[in-house]
Amino acid sequence: MMSVPEVVFHNASKFYGEVLGVNKVSLRIPPGITALVGPNGSGKTTLMNLMAGLILPDRGSVTVRGLSPRDPEKLMRVLGYATQYDAAPRGVTGFDFVLTGLLLWGHARAEAERRAWKAIERVSLADAAGRKIAAYSKGMRQRIRLAQAIAHDPEVVVLDEPLNGLDPLVRAETIAMFREWAAQERHVILSSHVLQEVDVISDRVILISNGMIVAEGQVRNVRDEISEHPSQFLIRCRDASRVASLLFAEKHVTEVRLNEDRAGLLVLTRNREEFAHTLGRIAVNDYEIESVLPADDNVDSLYGYLIGQGGR
Amino acid sequence: MNFAFRLRQALLIARLELSRAFFSKRAFWVYGLALFPMIIFVGHGLDVTWKRQRWAATSITREQMDRVTEGQTLEEVTQKLGKPIRQGQWEDDDNKRVHAWRSYYDGKRRIDLDFTNGLLTHIRAQELADFEDDRTVLATVFQYFYLRLAIFFGCLGIFMNLFRGEMLDKTLHYWLLGPARRETLLAGKYLAGVAASVVIFGVGTAVCFYGVLWYQNPAEVQAYWAGPGASHLFWYLAASSLACIGYGSVFVAAGLLVRNPIVPAALLLVWESINGFLPAALQKLSVLYYVQSLCPVPPVDFDEDTPALVKMLLAPAEPASAAMAVVGVMGVTALVLLAAGRTIRRTEINYGTE
Repeated sequence: MMSVPEVVFHNASKFYGEVLGVNKVSLRIPPGITALVGPNGSGKTTLMNLMAGLILPDRGSVTVRGLSPRDPEKLMRVLGYATQYDAAPRGVTGFDFVLTGLLLWGHARAEAERRAWKAIERVSLADAAGRKIAAYSKGMRQRIRLAQAIAHDPEVVVLDEPLNGLDPLVRAETIAMFREWAAQERHVILSSHVLQEVDVISDRVILISNGMIVAEGQVRNVRDEISEHPSQFLIRCRDASRVASLLFAEKHVTEVRLNEDRAGLLVLTRNREEFAHTLGRIAVNDYEIESVLPADDNVDSLYGYLIGQGGR
Repeated sequence: MNFAFRLRQALLIARLELSRAFFSKRAFWVYGLALFPMIIFVGHGLDVTWKRQRWAATSITREQMDRVTEGQTLEEVTQKLGKPIRQGQWEDDDNKRVHAWRSYYDGKRRIDLDFTNGLLTHIRAQELADFEDDRTVLATVFQYFYLRLAIFFGCLGIFMNLFRGEMLDKTLHYWLLGPARRETLLAGKYLAGVAASVVIFGVGTAVCFYGVLWYQNPAEVQAYWAGPGASHLFWYLAASSLACIGYGSVFVAAGLLVRNPIVPAALLLVWESINGFLPAALQKLSVLYYVQSLCPVPPVDFDEDTPALVKMLLAPAEPASAAMAVVGVMGVTALVLLAAGRTIRRTEINYGTE
């Protein structure tokens, strides 16, 4: 059986002097869209920098599809990284910024220029490509970094807050591009504070806090792992008051809130399976349950739990 | 990915870095250092040319001068030589003496005549431009200022900026994320620094060299070019270029290792300064030792009044042969770049602490 190309962290630790970057991180990231989620200073950028070899682990190891970040000559042919660092070399234009990497890659000038234009057009920056990056707005600098990261068509794209500063149209196109790559068995590893977007676009999330991995996996599975926080469901039904009283009698239900329109409920339960059974019994007894929606299996809630604010 | 591919990458990086090496805002003062000695030589040349033009109308002939001897009166001398180009007088009241002086120009030399109580007591002649003396001055300025200070600090400005400057600008990650070995990046940036420093200080050296020639007697200059002139220029340029190559390697390595350039610069300056009285084996671990050996003209001798410490610091070591000097600089450079190559493999981006 062929092995799956993965990004692997094996017991990796990084310290900045006495300040912890990440501690004993062990991860296997398969192809697809993976979001790194955590508060500022939690270690997201450290993980990304470790993948790209901008920093080296003090302990443990990191490999990207079998390649060591200590070998940029090979790694950077398959990896593109749009960093959070806003500065670009002095006097360089957007086009040259993208072109240089392609020339270093070994493309002939004409081919490098073709690919550079393609990447720049993909982030809708063609009109400004000839201008110096110093004169770009924050959003434009974000887009040109994205163009540089994708210009060589990499198998692994690492993106630090990639959707910041993008207008809605470019944002939608970029997300579509991520999905397209994921479908091609590529890695798209991104961090973001736009949690709704992470929730919508990610196949997997990795929750980080204080340099340690708190949870990882698919958003719903991760939600299950955080057992100390009750799961939340929104129920639309006829006779909501009666359903609320029936549910509240169950041991696994910790809280029931009745909507103002008296046609909906927010239910907090410690046991999703028992909740499902209970709901089945209620439905059989002719209470006309119209819909049941999980209210907190999104990244926003997980993030809230992670930093101790509770789900919404 | 073979050597030829990596060489192409290094040359590409060098080409892209050239403008940064030449026109970095942080290193504009390097041009001042490179061209500063020119002020001395061009200024001296302008002074000589101006005096020649001003005094030509009243110049005296050698025959006129031959008729003047010590013991003649001021009136006799004035009658024989005519109006002087400069004159003056002062009285020594204590000894009841009147001192006077007259200066004449014979088309080549300035002749100063000293009179005491109206009688000629001394005749002194000084070449307006002494080609040999001026070449010795050039050699002295080149060895003691240009090699030891101008190129030294110029390379500090250019080469430290290659990596340290990028770290300060928070742009080094741009290069580290390219699909190139770190050593290739080092080679490319170093080549850009070498190209910039060799051009800047090579032009500075050539301008100083020409600055000594342009006001000299054309016949003497022609004879000089027919003789050792071209060879002298070649070795001056070779010495300045090799100094850039050697010091450049040290400072590019220092830029990878330390944040503050003052410390390595001070240490290296001390090391280079005491080179003359280090044991023979240690002398060879010096850029200055080799490049001084290539200088074609010896500097001016120290006189008795020169302080002992200055003599000690400026005393050159026993020179190496030209071939040995070239091989030596290249050897020191290779060693330092090898160490820099090992360092850059471990270099990390940590803008937060810069």
